Amino acid sequence: MALFEIKNLTFRYPETKFDALNDINLVIEKGEFVVILGKSGCGKSTLIRHLKSTLVPYGKRNGQILYLGQELGEVSARVQAGEIGYVMQSPDNQIVTDKVWHELAFGLENMGYEKKRIRLRVAEMANYFGIQNWFSKNVEELSGGQKQLLNLASIMAMQPKVLILDEPTSQLDPIAAGEFLATIKKINTELGTTIVIVEHRLEEVFPMADKVLALENGKQLCVGTPREVGKKLAGHDLFHAMPSPVKIYNGTGQTGECPLTVRQGRTWLDTYFEPEKEERTKKEDRGRLFKKKQGPFAVEAKEVWFRYDKNLPDVVKDLSMQVRRGELYCMLGGNGTGKTTTLSLLAGLKRAYRGKIFLCEKDIRKIKDKEKFWHFLGMLPQNPQTLFVGNTLEEDLWEMKEGLPFVGKEEFLKRMRMVVEDTEIAHLLKMHPYDLSGGEGQRAALAKVLLLEPEILLLDEPTKGLDGFYKQKLAAIFDRLKSRGVTILMVSHDVEFCASYADTCALFFDGNIVAAEKTKEFFAGNSFYTTAASRMARHLFPEAVTVKDVIETCRKNRRQE
Amino acid sequence: MRNDTFSTYHPVINFTYFILVAGLSMFVMHPVFLGISMTSGFAYYVYLKGKKALRTMICFFVPIFLLSSIVNPLFNHKGMTLLFYLKSGNPITLESILYGLAAGVMIVSVLAWCSCYQCVMTSDKFIYLFGKLIPALSLLLAMVLRFVPKFSAQIHKVSDAQKCIGRDVSNGKLPARLKKGMKILSIMVTWALENSVETADSMKARGYGLRGRTQFSVYRFDSRDKMMFAGMAAAGIFLAVILIFKKIFVYYYPILVLNEHTALAHLAYCVYGLFCFLPLAVNIVEDIKWHYLKSKI
Repeated sequence: MALFEIKNLTFRYPETKFDALNDINLVIEKGEFVVILGKSGCGKSTLIRHLKSTLVPYGKRNGQILYLGQELGEVSARVQAGEIGYVMQSPDNQIVTDKVWHELAFGLENMGYEKKRIRLRVAEMANYFGIQNWFSKNVEELSGGQKQLLNLASIMAMQPKVLILDEPTSQLDPIAAGEFLATIKKINTELGTTIVIVEHRLEEVFPMADKVLALENGKQLCVGTPREVGKKLAGHDLFHAMPSPVKIYNGTGQTGECPLTVRQGRTWLDTYFEPEKEERTKKEDRGRLFKKKQGPFAVEAKEVWFRYDKNLPDVVKDLSMQVRRGELYCMLGGNGTGKTTTLSLLAGLKRAYRGKIFLCEKDIRKIKDKEKFWHFLGMLPQNPQTLFVGNTLEEDLWEMKEGLPFVGKEEFLKRMRMVVEDTEIAHLLKMHPYDLSGGEGQRAALAKVLLLEPEILLLDEPTKGLDGFYKQKLAAIFDRLKSRGVTILMVSHDVEFCASYADTCALFFDGNIVAAEKTKEFFAGNSFYTTAASRMARHLFPEAVTVKDVIETCRKNRRQE
Repeated sequence: MRNDTFSTYHPVINFTYFILVAGLSMFVMHPVFLGISMTSGFAYYVYLKGKKALRTMICFFVPIFLLSSIVNPLFNHKGMTLLFYLKSGNPITLESILYGLAAGVMIVSVLAWCSCYQCVMTSDKFIYLFGKLIPALSLLLAMVLRFVPKFSAQIHKVSDAQKCIGRDVSNGKLPARLKKGMKILSIMVTWALENSVETADSMKARGYGLRGRTQFSVYRFDSRDKMMFAGMAAAGIFLAVILIFKKIFVYYYPILVLNEHTALAHLAYCVYGLFCFLPLAVNIVEDIKWHYLKSKI
């Protein structure tokens, strides 16, 4: 008997004209790993919320959902609470209590288990997830990744038969996300728990899946094994979200069996392609050290040092960097290496205790606040939501006018129209900023910053939590800005994005920049810190960095049979 | 805070102990008792907090002590032993000075014990204790304790983000700052409501609202706790009896009268001394034990 059986499910939110879900049919077997993908707002979350009665959204619904052969609505709340586990997006909001141990026990308390049994279950879970070291801590002391792991553990403590996850890693950095997804895989293989996951990080999750469901505008686009879906989606919008090996496979004409992981990709390439014959660019020219560049520079830092307190260690150490005018400069690097701090130093929000920073060749200490935030500098914080203060997006954009009393109303309106068009948010103006999805919120926040007409734009992880489609949109906006001479400096974890769109990439480590080079040279020279496409193809085509490069080189080097 | 052994006892022990000590320090104005509770309170506070405690004592306790011991004779003119007259014609008496000093010591020692209470009785212990009485309250408290730091962290984030677009709340003229502050506050309310929806979902998803909810805790009332409790109860009853039958007493007005130096009174001083130095004694015994263990390892 199938664990879940969804039959002809159609759903419409009240007072909307379109079905959020339209005729969905899906069978989820026991122990399966199911991935649901689709663009933001295509109904993925709506669909999986239907798998647990307490979370089913309010609206008009047709069709049937069976849980172990029984109508889901008739399964008792107690059984559902214990057997169907649900992990949500935000690590923070899901946590109910203030202590880690209490959080782990929360569900079990609700189920009415006695103390001894809870103690055992909690101990088991703490061991399985490696939580024992922070067991007695306050939850606010935990990092985002730890919080999400705690959420997972506190659900697993109830020993569910199926685990439903709604974009669980969208607010985590790549390393924490990787660990989280590996844990999910471990749960699936070691405990046989069924997994239903909605996820953007397909690079990792796609190869794990037994079954993939692709949704588009509430309709079922296709269902099948990852290989089948990968083939079927070729040429579709959703294809941008696919892992690099699948993209390369499809881009080169679908020869042989579709590779899903980098390892499979390497063998696949070996079978069908030959190493590039052309002479490589001389390696010696590609100095790995920081090279002096020619001006004019939009941002320049000279031997900058910073720490938060006299008695604390340095966060930024001897940082020197130069960003040329009109380029897209990406700072990559691990967590807690001081990237975000560097951004606030460059924006003048914090002051270095040694060294100098120049913005457009002016010393930052001599730029007044008033000059700085008009026609000069704009910064987008990591969480775009923190920028909004209005009740609608439109109100929020008008709010910027208050900081710019010297700008006429007409002029401001003109400016606003242009920005709204640039960032493609015209259809969102009447919405509450908190109701926007990740990608929309990011663009709306960007619009707010762009109203300052900045020449230098500082961005803190603008691609965090965005799906492939929204990333492309963002890249298009960046292109438009660059063509107008705006300098963009962004901090990012997103190797794939930087490889495709940046002009210069820099590796940030231990408080300063270890290497800064043109994007292609940067990634071709690295062996770990590089794109999946490069990792897959580097032994044959060392110069190819992005999926596009690899596909093009592949075409030239096909093995002749 | 230092590694405190007394804190490792069951919350019931910690809580009753502090209630007893604070109560006795507050209501027994006998000079010997006051002296004992002040020295022990200070000693324990210093043990817990080290240098920080000394700073608090100099900055807060000393002024409070001085204030209360000066104010009493200035405004209270009871007492038989006249020392001199103020310019206003009010008399200053020996008894009112003594009472002022005693009250000063009392206030300071109660403060010291309250500071110790704060270090020992962490929020989870408090929640555990009161959750036993009112289960719904304990979850509510736990949620409040989760929410408050989250809320203030978010306010920081929002005001930092506003700086990114040149809207610094911390500078500018007062009306403008107020306006910005209000805006942030209003969006914070939205934020809190918005996020609480997800928290509520997470609670429902984990079966909150099912019948027969139980309480889990990490505390266990073990044999060590039982012994401690018995000891504390014995001391408490003994002291209560002594006080009720006036084997120990003090009158400050109209003239200072103290109980006689009976054996029973001396015993009561000793018992109270032991009682007040209990947490420190527990720590010292533990330290000695560890020293001994270390030499064996």
